[in-house]
Amino acid sequence: MSAHVGTQSLVGDARRRRRRGVNGGSGAFYAFISPWLIGTVLLTLFPLGYALWISFTNWDGISPSQNWIGLENYADALAEPQMWASLQRTGLLAIAIVPVTICGGLGLALLLNEKVHWRSGLRMLVYLPAIVPPVAATLTWKLLFDRDSGAINGFLAIFGADAVSWMTGNTVFIVLIVVMLWGIGAGVLINLAALQDVPAELHEAARLDGANAFAAFWHVTLPSISPVLLFQVITTTIGVLQTFVPALLLSPANGAAAITAVPEANRIFMVDVYAQYFAYSRYGYASAMLWLFFLAILVVTVITFKVSGRTVFYAVDPSEEGKKK
Amino acid sequence: MTLTAHRKGTDSGAPSEIPIRHIPERKNRVAFVILLVVCAILFLPVLWLFLTSLKSPQQLASDPITWIPTPPQVQNFIEATTALPFWAYAANSLFLSTVCGALTTISSALVGYGFARLNGRGKKVLFGILIAMMMTPPIITLIPTYLLFAKIGLVGTYWPWVLWGIAGAPYLIFLYRQFFAQLPRELEEAAILDGCGRLRIFVQIFLPLSKPVIITAFVLSFNGVWGDFIAPQLLLNQDNTTLAVAITSGYVNKAGFPVNNLLAAGAILYVIPVLIMFFFVQRSYVRGFATSGMK
Repeated sequence: MSAHVGTQSLVGDARRRRRRGVNGGSGAFYAFISPWLIGTVLLTLFPLGYALWISFTNWDGISPSQNWIGLENYADALAEPQMWASLQRTGLLAIAIVPVTICGGLGLALLLNEKVHWRSGLRMLVYLPAIVPPVAATLTWKLLFDRDSGAINGFLAIFGADAVSWMTGNTVFIVLIVVMLWGIGAGVLINLAALQDVPAELHEAARLDGANAFAAFWHVTLPSISPVLLFQVITTTIGVLQTFVPALLLSPANGAAAITAVPEANRIFMVDVYAQYFAYSRYGYASAMLWLFFLAILVVTVITFKVSGRTVFYAVDPSEEGKKK
Repeated sequence: MTLTAHRKGTDSGAPSEIPIRHIPERKNRVAFVILLVVCAILFLPVLWLFLTSLKSPQQLASDPITWIPTPPQVQNFIEATTALPFWAYAANSLFLSTVCGALTTISSALVGYGFARLNGRGKKVLFGILIAMMMTPPIITLIPTYLLFAKIGLVGTYWPWVLWGIAGAPYLIFLYRQFFAQLPRELEEAAILDGCGRLRIFVQIFLPLSKPVIITAFVLSFNGVWGDFIAPQLLLNQDNTTLAVAITSGYVNKAGFPVNNLLAAGAILYVIPVLIMFFFVQRSYVRGFATSGMK
């Protein structure tokens, strides 16, 4: 028994020593990643766990005590028509934005990859709206869609149209979509880098085979950059699903009153969650919504990864090559 | 003409190709025109923001609307900085963005180096968690974090940004990792034989090589904090909040209605640092993406 333990530890020692070679032992690894590791535990996992615990209670955010009510909040949420309505609006927003952003971003990158005049200037202009902070972007469009002084109504008035109250009623949803589509250039830099990585020989070969531009794009370019596109589809979708600030700032009211004044049409999922917390003090219920949302995003991400096969995000890792353990 | 330089491999190198450069390159006119139209559409809102910021209250209220304000009311920009304590809020934003940005840049580099160059038990699982963190919407953790910070008295202080900075940002860690992972192994082999410690290897060999990524990381995290609305809205109060929060509610008249010309001027002043920063570092920023981006 003791001999057994002895050999085991010897083997362990040897393995450890071998591993230490270039890459160092576990100690160095953990020392380097400790800021993130500790941060993740304290600032991500712990708050998530805290929200999970609240979601099983009827806490109102003020009372010193709360009751454990099990899954009641989850049952309430799933039975709440307003929750489904906000979820539906969020889905609609994703359908309106994700395909246009992905295809548009790719299209712009393809155009910018051509030999064109003022290429770097145009690239900067396409990218410009994407770096404007969401607060300023939303305010800018709010001014454009202003009923009395906005350019959109001013333009429509030239054709004799009456002033439209864009910021109230269902039209505010259109404004929200426009605000978010403005950042269409966000993926252009990544796409351009990916396009420039497509081996030139492949295009040459396709050309010699008599492929036209479209066929070359479909059979050569698209497969080469698909990992980059997949990554963008996932991040853009998650980005749209969690949309909150533009919807809040398009509210006609300011400050604390803004959240309850968000027009019905813009009551997307995170707006609903935020209102449940801070306007209606239903902390337990809101936490349950937050967790349902978290689980949904987890599921969507895992499915996308699985369906698309092995993802190629992190292909290179010199520390692992040639030592498949 | 069929031999002109629209083949990628031919524009650099052999002397025989030099004459080709004198033949004007065939530019794609169709692509140029489409791009021009798209850029015009994307830029119009910015133009409108400028025009609005230069209008007088009368021009704002005119019917039909005033397109070009004459004379331009340049003093709106001064008024925008006095209608609310603009510079105090700007200083808050600058402080938070710089501190949090610098901390994030440093700690993400450390963690990225760890994931790229070192081995340890459970590395694969931890890397999986990192990727999962990249996909987790920050707002999901922000609200419960706020509730916890309220309990331990961190609401109303800048400490949360210090903590977030030290913890690093998953996306930037990933960016660094991709960059460090593709550097050759020989870089540290010699140093290890010389008895160089890990931290020294990181600081003296790897950091100097990663300038473009460092700049990219700092710009992204600085702009992230500068542009963030919801964390300061939840965690700070009216005296110590950031510009992002202040401009959304500061420019109102006595009746509570927004004053659009000052709002536009304030928004422009708020965006300018972000734009300047971006355009100054544009080249290394693009390089940072190109060499270590999502590939």
